[in-house]
Amino acid sequence: MNSIRYKLSGVTCSVLQAANFRPAYIQCRLYSGPTSFPDFFKNPIFRKEEQAKLIEINELSKLAISPVKPPGVSETSSVYYDPLVNKLINHVMKMGKKQLARELVEKAFENVKRIQIERYHLASSAEAKAKIILNPKDILHQAIENCRPLLQLLPIKRGGIVYQVPAPITEKRSLFLAIKWLLDATNDKERTIHFPQQFAWELLDAANNTGKVVKRKQDLHRQCEANRAYAHYRWQ
Amino acid sequence: MLSRNIRLLSRRYSQAVTFRTTESSPTQQNENQVGLFYTMNNDVCKQLFAHGGLPKSFMKQTKTFTETALMVRLPALDIIDCIKVTDLNKPVVRYVLYGEKGAGKSLTLAHLLHFAHEDGFLIVHIPWVSDWLRRLPRDKEMSNSQSREGFVDIPLDAAAWLLHFKMQNQVLLKTGDLKTSKEYVWSKRESTPAGAPLAELVEHGIARVKYACDVIDVLLKEIKLLSNAKKCKTFVAIDGFNSFFYPLTRLSTPTKKKVAPEEVSLTAPFMEITKNDWTNGAIVVTTDQLAVPEDRQENYLPKYLLYQKGFEHLDPFVPMEIGRYTEREFLSCASYYRDRLWLRGPPELESELKLASACNPYNFMELCAPL
Repeated sequence: MNSIRYKLSGVTCSVLQAANFRPAYIQCRLYSGPTSFPDFFKNPIFRKEEQAKLIEINELSKLAISPVKPPGVSETSSVYYDPLVNKLINHVMKMGKKQLARELVEKAFENVKRIQIERYHLASSAEAKAKIILNPKDILHQAIENCRPLLQLLPIKRGGIVYQVPAPITEKRSLFLAIKWLLDATNDKERTIHFPQQFAWELLDAANNTGKVVKRKQDLHRQCEANRAYAHYRWQ
Repeated sequence: MLSRNIRLLSRRYSQAVTFRTTESSPTQQNENQVGLFYTMNNDVCKQLFAHGGLPKSFMKQTKTFTETALMVRLPALDIIDCIKVTDLNKPVVRYVLYGEKGAGKSLTLAHLLHFAHEDGFLIVHIPWVSDWLRRLPRDKEMSNSQSREGFVDIPLDAAAWLLHFKMQNQVLLKTGDLKTSKEYVWSKRESTPAGAPLAELVEHGIARVKYACDVIDVLLKEIKLLSNAKKCKTFVAIDGFNSFFYPLTRLSTPTKKKVAPEEVSLTAPFMEITKNDWTNGAIVVTTDQLAVPEDRQENYLPKYLLYQKGFEHLDPFVPMEIGRYTEREFLSCASYYRDRLWLRGPPELESELKLASACNPYNFMELCAPL
């Protein structure tokens, strides 16, 4: 199937070239993967706020003449677009079933919201009510912030022995680990409990700085602390 | 500048308050309240809908919102006005609610039921016909009918319905004006004498589940006679009525034979009561795409959903389309959701949700859920 697609797109490209078109300008999505666009293609800027920012610093006119990649299907200028949520959906997705993944995540948000609204109505005083976070996306941000590890352990071989050496972690990897741990904790559940329900509980726990995932992070930190004697192996 | 700010503020304030009405009695509601929400009394709600009648997704909302609030919509008001001015000595008028999936047919029916309850009607209400004919939980009981050859009984569902009937009409049944016209013999030792109150008949059906289907048959005949004799006025409400006309049900006899809806013993009495050969009442039925399997969901119009047979059975009837939200209803619903914390975020959200949901009430509710 893939080879057919390549052929097809090759044919279309050659036809377009014959007709004195520049194929680079065509938003051809028949290619698989990010390799379809050469390096000089700019990433699309699809948010209104960012476009406004560009206009302010007079960068837009520069961008206007350079070729730009088309944005993905989920990259919209919608009011409720959130890059972190998009990331999470991609992590939940299996076998490319994105719609299912999105439904699951949204269902989990709904559960979070219902639980929080119920708590809000049960809370007695105005201060207690003000403390409750009602927005499920805020809960997600808070949860992921609480789950992010600050250090990691790298296996480094010195004198025939592999040491677990504590090392600083990049922002990107810590985000990856936080999401991965959240999903690991969620999938470790009874068969009868559904994913959205369990995920909602995990999110609320993590946002509250308790629960399995936060414990896992703290365990890692403790291990790093215990292995601090090996830290010099990183550069020796 | 200052006056402009004040004007804007007051406009915003007025927008924020006009989604709710204090008029909680459907008999008093009029065109001024279209698009506004009224809160149903908890006791009434429990009495009318304890055994079904409100959709499941709506029940979830009532729990989250800590109240049962219905929107006053034009079709419901129209039907209420029609019922108010109808001459009850004439044969009953039949109203058919139809519309897209999620347009609010069941909730309009709930609104009408509340009206009927306030207005002192005797209520005969089936929450969802497909629960009888198409839903097969593990403990569903199906048996061959004892009294009529070739019919299938669903005694547990019938008993549950009798309980529902008793719950909805507890006030009217308690007065004891409603009496049976003749003696009914159930078996050698059990019988209901002539002149016994209807409550006794219902109690018998609940206590002796075996006879529940026969009791419903007798009960509906008696209700018709009593209405004709001006002892009570009757309001018949059936949700998902077109399920009675889909060629096959999912039930089967003990010998694994497929059952058609006409062969279920509960179908006949409800077919009888939806005929217009009696007076002093009103009939409201809904036709719903969700009541039939997917191969019959191409269109929401009653003629398609009811088949020729059902259409001729109901003809003549008053069709009433339940449509999507109008501009005003949508705004009021959005501000109600904001008030109940279901929707939050910048005000541009509304215009986007309006486009995404196409003003369909159910879709709107679903789209708000993860926000």
